[in-house]
Amino acid sequence: MGFLEVNDLKVHFPIRGGILNRKIGAIRAVDGVSFSIEEGKTYGLVGESGSGKTTTGRAIIGLNHITSGQVMFEGKDLTSKKSKTQHVRKDIQMIFQDPYSSLNAKKRVLDIVAEPLRNYEKLTKIEEKLRVQELLEQVGLNPESILKYPHEFSGGQRQRIGIARAIALKPKLIIADEPVSALDVSVQAQVLNFMQEIQKELNLTYLFISHDLGIVKHMCDDIGIMYKGRYVEEGTKQDIFNNPQHIYTKRLVAAIPDIDPQNRQKQKHLRDEVQMEYQQYYNDYFDNEGLAYRLRNISDSHLVALPEKG
Amino acid sequence: MANAHVDTAQTDTEVKTPSTWSIIWREIVRDKVALISLIFLVGTTGFVYGISMFLEQSEIVTVDLFAINEAPSEQFWLGTDYGGRDIFGQLIIGTRNSLSIGILVTLMTGVIGVVYGLVSGYYGGTVDNIMMRIVDFFLILPFLMIVIVFVAIVPKYSIWSFSLIMTAFLWMGIARLIRSKALQERELDYAQASKTLGTSNFKIMFTQVLPNLSSLIIVTMTLNLAANIGLESGLSFLGFGFPETTPSLGTLLGYARNPQTLEFHWWVWVPAAVLIFLLMLAVRNVGEALKRATDARQRRG
Repeated sequence: MGFLEVNDLKVHFPIRGGILNRKIGAIRAVDGVSFSIEEGKTYGLVGESGSGKTTTGRAIIGLNHITSGQVMFEGKDLTSKKSKTQHVRKDIQMIFQDPYSSLNAKKRVLDIVAEPLRNYEKLTKIEEKLRVQELLEQVGLNPESILKYPHEFSGGQRQRIGIARAIALKPKLIIADEPVSALDVSVQAQVLNFMQEIQKELNLTYLFISHDLGIVKHMCDDIGIMYKGRYVEEGTKQDIFNNPQHIYTKRLVAAIPDIDPQNRQKQKHLRDEVQMEYQQYYNDYFDNEGLAYRLRNISDSHLVALPEKG
Repeated sequence: MANAHVDTAQTDTEVKTPSTWSIIWREIVRDKVALISLIFLVGTTGFVYGISMFLEQSEIVTVDLFAINEAPSEQFWLGTDYGGRDIFGQLIIGTRNSLSIGILVTLMTGVIGVVYGLVSGYYGGTVDNIMMRIVDFFLILPFLMIVIVFVAIVPKYSIWSFSLIMTAFLWMGIARLIRSKALQERELDYAQASKTLGTSNFKIMFTQVLPNLSSLIIVTMTLNLAANIGLESGLSFLGFGFPETTPSLGTLLGYARNPQTLEFHWWVWVPAAVLIFLLMLAVRNVGEALKRATDARQRRG
């Protein structure tokens, strides 16, 4: 039994219309996604805007209603009734994309970080304060600043407050939904390196949702590529970056910027080539609705959505 | 970690950002009209409640046939009405009653409206739909007609019963306002984050979302207070408010329905009219200053 297993997850949002407001269709935000994460590893979920990667993460933690499918965390089914899974949910926490709106502006840092502690652990006021100070120290913030309000911190510091809140209950799995995309590049590196540090320290497992392949390459062990709610390719970091099989992945990998100006010509040539291939074979890789096919194994770790005819 | 030093280098001696109350206070001090209004309001309220503790309502409303319609004098500072009752005493007690009703109605409609709107907006969907249809039902009821029927039915009629009947028909506005704001707030990340941290819906509503609506609530309730004082006076003027044995600003004004009083006994109704005007204006001035204080772009202070 894996650590986190997602089987054929579907999240559909109804489209209502007509008289009587009946359901006339559905947006298939996530349409049959399966993957599993091993303990202590970082799993990257990559895709363009609207590909359903955030919805997948939110469905796992219970913020989006799951239409069908199964989410198994340490052998327990998270899709069953909420009351039964309450103590399991403590082990899954989330880091949000926007550090500005994910902290309540009317609350002090103490109240923000202590919120999960107040829900699950019965601590006295003094214990709670010490614990919050300890957490702030752990994320590299001044423990003296517990009485400040969130707007008194910079973006990077606020994201650290968000991380302190997420690790307060000593969770096992953290879903990081584009944790650095709202931060500027210099701060991104700080936060990412820090996330790796606490991963080692607390033996955390990350589900890392991002659209930035450079960051994913830096952070993740295994990677899944999503397109229009479906997986197009899944594999280890080496599989994806060194041996991309699906035309969509190839195009993504080719789009990673290269700093070395000497490679510029080469890079441009490669991109043109991939672009040609993409236009030429688009219909071969996607069905007539423009969606990806089922995943098929091409090696033990590497799965690609290729058509039946191969 | 290199950046840890940067963070810890910040000291606690830096200027604290002002709290909501200090922003509001600064805005009122900066706006002289609002400041004068606030002083007037606090002064009037304190004076009226203070003095009325030493006045006997039953004594003031006792008819004295030897002192009918007397002009202002040493004995009766603001004269007497057609029953020989002292206008000044009635004005004090009347202002107290009118203010009490205004404040009670504002608080009760506020509490009901905020809770109702918050629950409706936070849950959304079907719950919201059902709750808003109930609001619509209350909105189409003929308010004035029902109050008139109520006055006819209820024999003994106190500040509390009058406040309750007004509350029953005045909580919908604030409920709708709070609901629309709660619909926006529940989608924000901080509310979603609270959910992932295991906080119950009830707690999210009242400890996370409610503080973010506080400025809106303060402003709306202040402006409602002005409207409610006016409404009470209006109803009493029409004769559907308090009886003459329970003076209010509206009943004093109501004497002006008699053409004799209107023309020759101005001291009966002018003070009450002026006071209603000043009270409503003052509350409104303070409310406008509060409204500006909650919006950083409009602030003067």
